[in-house]
Amino acid sequence: MVTNEAAAPLRILILDDEPIVCKRLKPAFQKLGHTVETFTDSGQALARLGEAVFDLVITDLKMEGADGLQILNGAKASSPATQVIVITGFATLETAKESYRKGAFDFVAKPFKLRDILDCVKRIEDRRRGPAAESGQ
Amino acid sequence: MRRWWRGLGADRRTARQEVDFWRLQALFNNFKRILSLNNAILEDMAKMERALGGEYIFDRAFLESSVSNIAHRVHHVVYSLNALTGNRHVGLYDRYQDIRTLLDDILADNIRTLADEAVLPLRAIGWEHESLVGMDLVCLAALPASSRIVPMDGLAVTAEGIRALELADAGGADSDQGPRLAEARSALREQLRRLATAQPGGPVAVVASRIDGDESPLQEMGAFLLGLDLDRREVSLVRQDGPADAVAERMVLADPGPDRTEEEDGEGECSAAELLLHGLERIAQLVGETPAPAGPHPAKSALFVHPQPPPMLTGTIRTRPLPGNPLAAEDGLMVEAAPFPEAPGDCFLLRRTHPFELLRSHIAARPAGHRFADNRPASAASAEQPHLRRGSALVEPGLLRDLAETAMLLERLFGAPLEIRWQLGSDGVCRLARLLPLACGLEPGPGQGAAESGEAVPVCQGGQTGQSGVGAGPVVHVDETTDPETFVAGAVAVARYASPDLTPILQRAAALVTEFGSAAGHLATVARELRLPSIFGLPDALDLLPPGTEVTVDGGETTIYGGIVEAMLRLDAMGMELTPQDREYRMLRRLLRFILPLHLLYPQLPDCTAENCRSFHDIIHFCHERAVEELAHFQERRPGLDTLRTRLLELDLPLDIRVLDVGGGIRPGSDLRLRPDRIESAPFAAFLEGLTDPRARNPEVPSLGLRDILAGVPRSMGLLAAPVDALGANLAIVGGEYLNLSLRLGYHFSVIDAYLGEDASRNHVYFRFVGGLADPERRGRRARFVAQVLAAMEFKTSVKGDLVVARLKLMEPDLLRAALLALGALTAFTRQQDINMRSEADSAQRFAAFAADFLLPFGARGLREAGDEVS
Repeated sequence: MVTNEAAAPLRILILDDEPIVCKRLKPAFQKLGHTVETFTDSGQALARLGEAVFDLVITDLKMEGADGLQILNGAKASSPATQVIVITGFATLETAKESYRKGAFDFVAKPFKLRDILDCVKRIEDRRRGPAAESGQ
Repeated sequence: MRRWWRGLGADRRTARQEVDFWRLQALFNNFKRILSLNNAILEDMAKMERALGGEYIFDRAFLESSVSNIAHRVHHVVYSLNALTGNRHVGLYDRYQDIRTLLDDILADNIRTLADEAVLPLRAIGWEHESLVGMDLVCLAALPASSRIVPMDGLAVTAEGIRALELADAGGADSDQGPRLAEARSALREQLRRLATAQPGGPVAVVASRIDGDESPLQEMGAFLLGLDLDRREVSLVRQDGPADAVAERMVLADPGPDRTEEEDGEGECSAAELLLHGLERIAQLVGETPAPAGPHPAKSALFVHPQPPPMLTGTIRTRPLPGNPLAAEDGLMVEAAPFPEAPGDCFLLRRTHPFELLRSHIAARPAGHRFADNRPASAASAEQPHLRRGSALVEPGLLRDLAETAMLLERLFGAPLEIRWQLGSDGVCRLARLLPLACGLEPGPGQGAAESGEAVPVCQGGQTGQSGVGAGPVVHVDETTDPETFVAGAVAVARYASPDLTPILQRAAALVTEFGSAAGHLATVARELRLPSIFGLPDALDLLPPGTEVTVDGGETTIYGGIVEAMLRLDAMGMELTPQDREYRMLRRLLRFILPLHLLYPQLPDCTAENCRSFHDIIHFCHERAVEELAHFQERRPGLDTLRTRLLELDLPLDIRVLDVGGGIRPGSDLRLRPDRIESAPFAAFLEGLTDPRARNPEVPSLGLRDILAGVPRSMGLLAAPVDALGANLAIVGGEYLNLSLRLGYHFSVIDAYLGEDASRNHVYFRFVGGLADPERRGRRARFVAQVLAAMEFKTSVKGDLVVARLKLMEPDLLRAALLALGALTAFTRQQDINMRSEADSAQRFAAFAADFLLPFGARGLREAGDEVS
């Protein structure tokens, strides 16, 4: 993989009640130099969001306990600059709209290709670097 | 009055036409529904298969929804076929329900219904037995037969076998479970007899493993050795690992047991088998007493039982070095060897990629009396003079390379680092006895390897992922003619076409790249079975990757980098990919077993029945074949449908083809006399291009002998004497992407049913060709010629007399278009060619001429003599 796309390392929190999603995403981001914490329990993830600031939260939507939208709220409340990517296997137009309305950076339907998420994160990095990077200049 | 009658007649004809059109529409609606449902199912299947190849990140919900969608559509296909054929295939509903129930059981983790054998010889084990025997034995059994490293020739007592044997201890022989116990004992005796015959009276090793852990699907439970004393009818059981108070028992076989047969009371191997069975029952009992982790399902264990002759050497291979090993300063594959387990041994660190060369080694001093390879004994001098503590290595370089190559294949199949126990026998054969997951603590630290892999230089990028993962090695160009034995193990195979003939090469390759072919093809399925990093459809791969160049292939990223990028190989092993260690992988693979395989390849064979459908793919394939067959004969079977309004195609050939548009097949507003440029049906346009190609016209005047005419008389007279309705016209039923063509050209009768769209997974051609005016020998020769052309285009082809049936599926649009063009040319070319095919040499000459004109898109294969391709 070409990895020179990464700029400053990101602090990333990944939450999905299916461990396989965390298991596969975590090393992909670590490989790019980012710091990653994974959770399969949304309560624990919310608690962690209260303790630490993350640059990026990748969260499942439908979970027992707090759902993805509550996590989104929690992340934004903890740090408005935190970007949130919502992933779900039950994607509908309504849930996508709701996610965007609440400030999600992107909404990705499961199953997804790793490249889809990496592209998302690259756009976040570009945005952090400023308008020139975002426009690809 | 006359006008009134005429008018009434006209009204009647119109009404009949309306009804016929309505009936035909109903027929085609059912047919089109089957096609579109089949295509949607194939897409879903392809997505599931590609998920298995690691292309998607998914969870259990994806598996549940995929099964639900596919099952719903398969049911609909079965319904539509029965609607099309007047309920001639109602038995399919039962098969559908059986398979659906199995899939639901898998999703509910109730996998006991999948297989229930109590015992399996290792060589009979496939992935479908993974839930019964564990992944280690599946991987061992998957080693290629030609490998110089082989698994121990043993047998597995499956989880079901253990369950049955546990009943022996619980008095199960007298309970209602008695028959189950008796059946398991009987199956075991049979296999143990074979094992005892192979090594009369010798000790037998037994390895017990727990095979049901979600997070760690293979855990070692114990290793035992069974020794036999046939005179005393005694079996000794020694635990070879575990705590200091390990089991060591002697059991005397006193009671023959209630289900013993007279045959088993004899001496020799029968008694040995009985003693071994006694020992295995005791081991099953010990395994059953081992505390199981808490969980919703009872713990599952399996035994691997194999002869244990005294080895010349024993050792281990660790596919990653353990921390703390003095040789482990660099990454590599560690091989250890010793003359016996406690003896000082040698240690070798080898490269994990081709050519698996030795990086470091530590050779232990040999004790006095040790015989070196040249048969000279070691002296006692080294004991007192440390600088003399050297010796020749226990393992020769060739064997080290073979061990490394095999270990890397096993690691790939297993999906995680492995510890492999091996033994070198006195017969010079190296046998693998055991696979264990290796906890080597691979965990990427922040940015670890990122810098190094960031410097990797992409050589090319594109195509589709067949199997994700990273593989590296020197490039070797391969094609269908490459001898797998000469293929360099650990090389990157690069081919122009994804030919199924490349399958044997895949077991030795480190990665695969093809210029043409898709991730939905057969070779991609094989690559996924072997978990071989692979990219399909990468343009100009042969030019961009010259032979001998070292490259690193990232299958998931569909990118190839120059050189061996060690950091990428290291990162690849850190668990990002989906592997058999993941519950979702195993569940998906179990599901696919009942969804994906196609067992009913040849619809003309008698076993192609609804009852023999064993997967959803079988069902939809069966439905497709039966639906095509129904349409291929609809003119004969439904003679009433001859009055429909069709358009006559104006060709510069002495040939009338009537065209019936069922939607998008011809340009709107066309006249009743239709010029070819008004055809918008993609498959029909391609066919016509070939049919009207001047190169396909026969320049020779056919020489028709009296014998030919006489030989053809019964057939031609039969055709000519048939009622006009039954004989039918040349009719093309066309849609934008669809063609069903019944064609009589001369005395040939062909049917083509084709779908040609942009999505390769939907594309297909069915071709049937029969008839001709010539003696049977020449007609047969002509049929073989046609079949040869079809085989060159990768059609699955069968020939029976002068009937040729061929099918082509899942082709890229450009290749399928070329195939239809060639079929058009073939139709024109073979017009009365049987008259000219006086000898095999004639036939070969004509094949060469045809191939040069029309088969170039199919590569060298098309120009090759392809007679042996035809079944």
